[in-house]
Amino acid sequence: MTNREKLQDLLQDILLLDPSEFRFDLMRDDVQMWDSLAVVAIAVGVDETFGYHFTPEEAMTIKGVPDIMALLETKSISFAE
Amino acid sequence: MLNSPEIWDFGEILNRNLGNCTLLTTPSVRSRVTDWPFNHATSVGHLDERLDTLVVIGGGTLIDEAKAWRAHRAPRTFLVAVPSIWGSGAEASPVIVLDHNGAKEIHIGNQYLPDVRCVWPELASSLSPEQALYACGDAWSHALEGFLSPLAGHSLREDLASVLVTMKSLPVSNDSRWFEPSAAACAGQARSSVGLVHGIAHTLEPVMRASYPREGWGHARLCATFVWPVMRYNQARGDRWTSLTSQYGLDGSAMLDCIESLHDSGNYETAMAHMEGAWKEVLRDPCTRTNSTLVRPDSLAWFMNRAFL
Repeated sequence: MTNREKLQDLLQDILLLDPSEFRFDLMRDDVQMWDSLAVVAIAVGVDETFGYHFTPEEAMTIKGVPDIMALLETKSISFAE
Repeated sequence: MLNSPEIWDFGEILNRNLGNCTLLTTPSVRSRVTDWPFNHATSVGHLDERLDTLVVIGGGTLIDEAKAWRAHRAPRTFLVAVPSIWGSGAEASPVIVLDHNGAKEIHIGNQYLPDVRCVWPELASSLSPEQALYACGDAWSHALEGFLSPLAGHSLREDLASVLVTMKSLPVSNDSRWFEPSAAACAGQARSSVGLVHGIAHTLEPVMRASYPREGWGHARLCATFVWPVMRYNQARGDRWTSLTSQYGLDGSAMLDCIESLHDSGNYETAMAHMEGAWKEVLRDPCTRTNSTLVRPDSLAWFMNRAFL
């Protein structure tokens, strides 16, 4: 499984999305379930899946899927297709 | 230190000048207090909003109703909470859980914190072994989920680790020493969050009450039933259980033994028969979403297959 697939799988589970609803340019405002509790769950899930734990400051800057990928790219976790 | 209301000795209720005071009690307690020199009430609907003091003696549900009544209807009333059973910790927490036709509504705010709590140790002796066991499950769930929560900070974890050590030393019986760690656990989890045990309990409670109306299915029984399987899930699916128990000097495997002793496989089978239909709602529950280990749609299979055994 690639990192892109792992991230998609994770976010679909947390945000309770069908595969057809997921996009890599999805923003927080596009998804009803993406509230502050989802931010906590994403931090837990990213830690479990990619072994990196967002700091609270980093978690606060996340406005969408591109931000998650950009943050993880800075930790050498690649999402190249 | 964990925030908590002022603590009184039980006798102070009778010795202090409480002004125009009403005693709100559950039926199980009422016969013990009929001669107390206060007005008596059986529900918040009967309370006068000009009261100086309200003393509530009962379980978590009644205490939460009194907390809500005071906050919304009579904010100047002094509130004294005396739990008739441990577990909910309602006497020590700024959280209220209200039941609206089976749906749980959770509110948090300092306006809900009682002014005083006190322990009436003799009430513990009236609990049946089953009630005591379920109450212990509720208390363990608050302490463990609050400790493991991704929202907990270092000092809170230190406080809750100390509570967990105390709980581990207590027998699962109607021992009044449970009141203190239970109150501390509840005050602690209010500063972080709870997790999947509570997500399951909040979702299944109305289902179980409707399906088995005379079998005493309530919050504490569900907590006692699920705290061991959920902690085994947390242990199996992530490293937070192992790393945090080790970091705070806790004996994780001894704690798992303690909570395993609360688990009843018959209760588990009965509750799990309703889990598949409720799982989507469990996943949406705010408590589930702050579980220490991520809960996914496919996590249901882990519980259905009894992978914790």
